[in-house]
Amino acid sequence: MSTMDPSRTDLGFSDPDPRRSGPLDRIPSIVLPIVSVLLAFAVGGILIWLQGVSPLRAYAVLFSNALGTPEGLLRVMEKSTPLILTGLAVTVGLRAGLFNIGAQGQLLVGAIGAAWAGYHFQLPLIVHLPFAVLFGMLCGAAWASIAGVLRAYRSVSEVITTIMLNAIAIALVDYLASEPLKEEGQPLTRTPAIADSAALPVFGIVPSGFLLALAVAVFFGWYLTRTTQGFRFNTIGLNPSAARYAGISVKGTIVLAMAVSGALAGLGGAIETLGVTGRFEPAFNAGLGFDGITIALLARANPLATIPAALLIGTMRTGAAALQFQTGIEPEVVDVILAITLLFVSAPIVARLLFRNRNIKQTTVTSGWGS
Amino acid sequence: MHRKIVLAAVAASALLLAACGGSSSDSASSGSSESGGSSQAAGGGGEGDCPGPDAFCIGLVTDTGKVDDKSFNQSAWEGAKEAAKATGGYAKYIETVDPKDYANNMNQFISAGYDVIITVGFLMGEASVEAADAQKDKGTTFIGVDQFQADPIIPNLTGLVFSEDKAGYAAGYLAGLMTKTGKTGAVLGTDTVPPVKLFGEGYKAGALAANPNVEVTLVYHAPDNAFNDPEWGAAEAKKQLAQGADIIFGAGGNTGNGALIEIAKAAGAGETIFCIGVDTDQYYTVPQAQKCLLTSAEKKLREGTRDLIILAKDGKAPGGNYFGLTGLAPYHDTEAAVPDDVKKKVEEVVKGLDAGTILTNVTLG
Repeated sequence: MSTMDPSRTDLGFSDPDPRRSGPLDRIPSIVLPIVSVLLAFAVGGILIWLQGVSPLRAYAVLFSNALGTPEGLLRVMEKSTPLILTGLAVTVGLRAGLFNIGAQGQLLVGAIGAAWAGYHFQLPLIVHLPFAVLFGMLCGAAWASIAGVLRAYRSVSEVITTIMLNAIAIALVDYLASEPLKEEGQPLTRTPAIADSAALPVFGIVPSGFLLALAVAVFFGWYLTRTTQGFRFNTIGLNPSAARYAGISVKGTIVLAMAVSGALAGLGGAIETLGVTGRFEPAFNAGLGFDGITIALLARANPLATIPAALLIGTMRTGAAALQFQTGIEPEVVDVILAITLLFVSAPIVARLLFRNRNIKQTTVTSGWGS
Repeated sequence: MHRKIVLAAVAASALLLAACGGSSSDSASSGSSESGGSSQAAGGGGEGDCPGPDAFCIGLVTDTGKVDDKSFNQSAWEGAKEAAKATGGYAKYIETVDPKDYANNMNQFISAGYDVIITVGFLMGEASVEAADAQKDKGTTFIGVDQFQADPIIPNLTGLVFSEDKAGYAAGYLAGLMTKTGKTGAVLGTDTVPPVKLFGEGYKAGALAANPNVEVTLVYHAPDNAFNDPEWGAAEAKKQLAQGADIIFGAGGNTGNGALIEIAKAAGAGETIFCIGVDTDQYYTVPQAQKCLLTSAEKKLREGTRDLIILAKDGKAPGGNYFGLTGLAPYHDTEAAVPDDVKKKVEEVVKGLDAGTILTNVTLG
């Protein structure tokens, strides 16, 4: 497949031939991440045990604090929201054969865009809130499109450009928050607070941004498998030459896929600004985009699976403080467990152990990672 | 084909791990060194779990950093431990990873019935005000280390603040007397954080007061990652050395430390080239810089935190702003390089600053 366009890398995440992806073949693609998570928890448990704490107690603290109190649940949902969206952003890219490492930059641009739209205008809520959300998405989409255009028309690897655009985005939002968009008379680097009419409400303990993220994930579950455009994404991801032969505009689809990916990350940033922080402050959004890569790989580029993957990470990050408070284990153990999970999901060792008795072709078809 | 996919997967995860590393230093979350876990080193009075409502319990929440950051978090934590010993109480900490979790982390202590909660650093100011306000009538005392309290004052929240311009002035005065090249500089965190700017401007004012002909160069980091960029600090220090500065002041967490460590490597360090640290006696906190370290422009953070906690135990934490003392740390290894008359003059200046007879005349415009 690579003969026509040698710069393309098969990431193996495009939806395979639907005839072969029946319910039976789907099972392994769910099993692998779950086994990987369990193995990572086992390794993390050993690390915790070596520090003189019972792993079972540590994990009980980690999860019970996050899931057992209303404040904890609210934080879990707040923390999971941008993770679902950056996970979706990376997922959409992977389906189209693009590895978007730039979700962090797109999220930052979306977050500051939403902040500006949120404080600069005085509008009724019904107009202001959707406008601020959409403006954040638009900023993210525009930022990602730079990489999309370079990829489509100049064959510049999106992996490289999105990484570089991350660095530029960090510098850009820093400049914006410390110069033109800075809050007057405020020593901190940050924008003014958004107007109430642009704030995403919280229903009880359920943030509306979380509901929005769930809806978007469900929408993309449908969009990528049941629409013509979703089919185009998958086709250029699977085989760009065949896609071209079939009359699909490969260049246009690449740009569109990157724009959609960036819009999703930008939405994540917009919800952070409008629903959680109430303004843009540079340090507030660190790392969210990179977690999106973990989530997309853990979810194996399945839009619906980004929800449980994001909830898992959100829960662990929420419970980390209680973990340190009650057991003395440092909060970074969560990152260690996540990194090990990722290693197991991506490295073929676990898959080989799991599937050694199966037809190799079957596992290849379901994932592309397994053999 | 399969091999290629595997390769792509491995490459992807390698990239990702690199990205993760980058992200955590963005949020200044990961000190790579270890801090001997808080609760394990328990013992009656000192560090450890709060045994019950009758005990005096002190909780400390860090400002996206570790308690061994060789700077604010560490000094405040040492003060908390000393206070725990002095009062027979118990001290414990939580290290913040995500700045959006300040409230969450303080709540861990609040819901466990801690008596005093210390929040470290300017950036936690607003979160501390909110939390203290919500606990106004519930008997929890808050101490905001390095957090200036503006009106309206919350009665159960005391900001431990320092006149950074005084500490900077004293250090600058010493540099002004000591410089042979007539050039001195400072490598600083971001000037959007007022204490940093006060240090810088105070340093300049002090140097010029000692010797009006001294050339003083101040460089500030960009706001993002301002306190955790040792490479930038080192590069700026090198630049200033190349431009002929022989005494350089490094102020701004790991960024300033990077400058100090770089200067210690320069030829003539400790003889003709000197560095000045900040906040704490950096002879102990940055041992790599001992060779060039003339002194440190000290905020007596440990003492201030300790004294305020002890006041809080007796219900006497004043609320509003509590000014801790500032000064210069001992000369240590560079003792012999400083002439006696210089020592004497500097000592008088520190006394005058404390007494208010010497004014720095630094204002933030």
